[in-house]
Amino acid sequence: MLLKADASKFKLGFLWWILEPLMWVGVFYVVFNLILDSRRGGDFLVFLTCGKFAFIWFSKTVIQASNSIVASQGLVGKINMPKSIWPMSAIQESLYRQSTVYLLLFVILAFFGNYPSLTWLWLAPVWLVMYLMIVAAGLAGSFLVCLLRDFQKFIVLGMTFLLFTSGVFWDVRDLGSEEKTQLLLSVNPLAFMLDAHRQILMHDTAPAAGHLLMIGLGASVLIGLMLYLMRRYNHFLALKVIT
Amino acid sequence: MMGEADREVMLELKNVSLDFRSGKGTFDHGVHHVLNDVSFKLYENETLGIIGRNGVGKTTSLRIMADILAPTNGEVITRKGATASLLTLGLGFRPDLNGRDNAMLSAVLQGSSESEAIGFLEEIKDFSDLGDSFEEPVKTYSSGMKARLGFTTALMTHVDILLIDEVLSVGDAQFKAKAEQAMKERICGEQSVVFVSHSDAQVKSLCDRVIWLDKGSIAAEGAPETVIAQYRESIRVQNQANKKRRLAASSSPEV
Repeated sequence: MLLKADASKFKLGFLWWILEPLMWVGVFYVVFNLILDSRRGGDFLVFLTCGKFAFIWFSKTVIQASNSIVASQGLVGKINMPKSIWPMSAIQESLYRQSTVYLLLFVILAFFGNYPSLTWLWLAPVWLVMYLMIVAAGLAGSFLVCLLRDFQKFIVLGMTFLLFTSGVFWDVRDLGSEEKTQLLLSVNPLAFMLDAHRQILMHDTAPAAGHLLMIGLGASVLIGLMLYLMRRYNHFLALKVIT
Repeated sequence: MMGEADREVMLELKNVSLDFRSGKGTFDHGVHHVLNDVSFKLYENETLGIIGRNGVGKTTSLRIMADILAPTNGEVITRKGATASLLTLGLGFRPDLNGRDNAMLSAVLQGSSESEAIGFLEEIKDFSDLGDSFEEPVKTYSSGMKARLGFTTALMTHVDILLIDEVLSVGDAQFKAKAEQAMKERICGEQSVVFVSHSDAQVKSLCDRVIWLDKGSIAAEGAPETVIAQYRESIRVQNQANKKRRLAASSSPEV
């Protein structure tokens, strides 16, 4: 029902779900390929699409989830519900949206000659870990924003920082030194996730399973912790949101 | 009248206080004391009225009873298994959805199952007199239409303790009469109710007992007529005092 509300707001309705990420890719393509003249045609477009589509899932959802409790201030003051419901509903909503975005990604990949293989089955665990990361970050973000609205600014800024450091429009494997690449991949889980998408979809290579598992475990621990904190401080959060 | 001792207590507030901090002040600056050592009981099948001026903690005490907020000090005791819910207009309205979807959403939020809610929908449409507008987005509604939809949806909730915050002043004269009648039927039945209102007439006709809150504390408690009379008297006295002060202030330069 929330999806219906979201879609009916604009003239183009449901189309916006896929138009928006497409336009982002278009913008990056113009800047980095046509103006900065850094890469070669179709391949770079596929490279951008893989990275950006996955990145936008993370960034948009986390920002939306972070603001979700504060945004439904009226409801928080009227009914006692677990506070994690709001970020979770924002995350679920975007999960539906993202599924159409991934469908579009497959179409684009096929158009440029990347066809499904058995390796693509790796997408399932990659998506699962992506989802866990989003839930963890979304819950933590919404908790922080409840405590202090100022965190909204930090989160938006943080997403821009991640956009530049996660290798959306440059290749982590092109940094020149293998050490640097490994360091970035281990420090920034999002960079690893974007790279995993590309390894599977463009190079038919399985991602490092151990690393993927570690990220998934880390995210799960954070989720557990956030759910505990949100239950423990349920009334305190309500007071913070209302006042 | 039944002795208060043999009636079952549905909900009890014991020495409840609520403070919150706002602004950047540290220590006691910027700390608001909304409720201060408030204690009262709500008995089974009773309608308890709460009156008082704006900002004395009426809505906050309802929120504490509905378990939305926790008191800073003191405790809230609810009878085991009893559910308390705040009856409010426009619970979770989404302006982009039509009346039907919104009614559905509110009903589910207030604890109905999806199939129950679907059963209510036609009833809600009938009672609210919205007609074809029921299928239009809520953003096209007038404020009166919104209030009707909200009231009707809220009326469908079934809880043990109903907490009502200023809801009877909705819609035009005709709908108001209808709403008041429906409310009365609901309240007079097997239902414990806490009722916040600024309308003396409503409080007198609906409530068994009234509490007057002033500056976060209970100023008086008892039969509706007596407490309302005391409350009105205090407002009159205060107004007179203000008038005198104004007069004194305006005449003082000449002295």
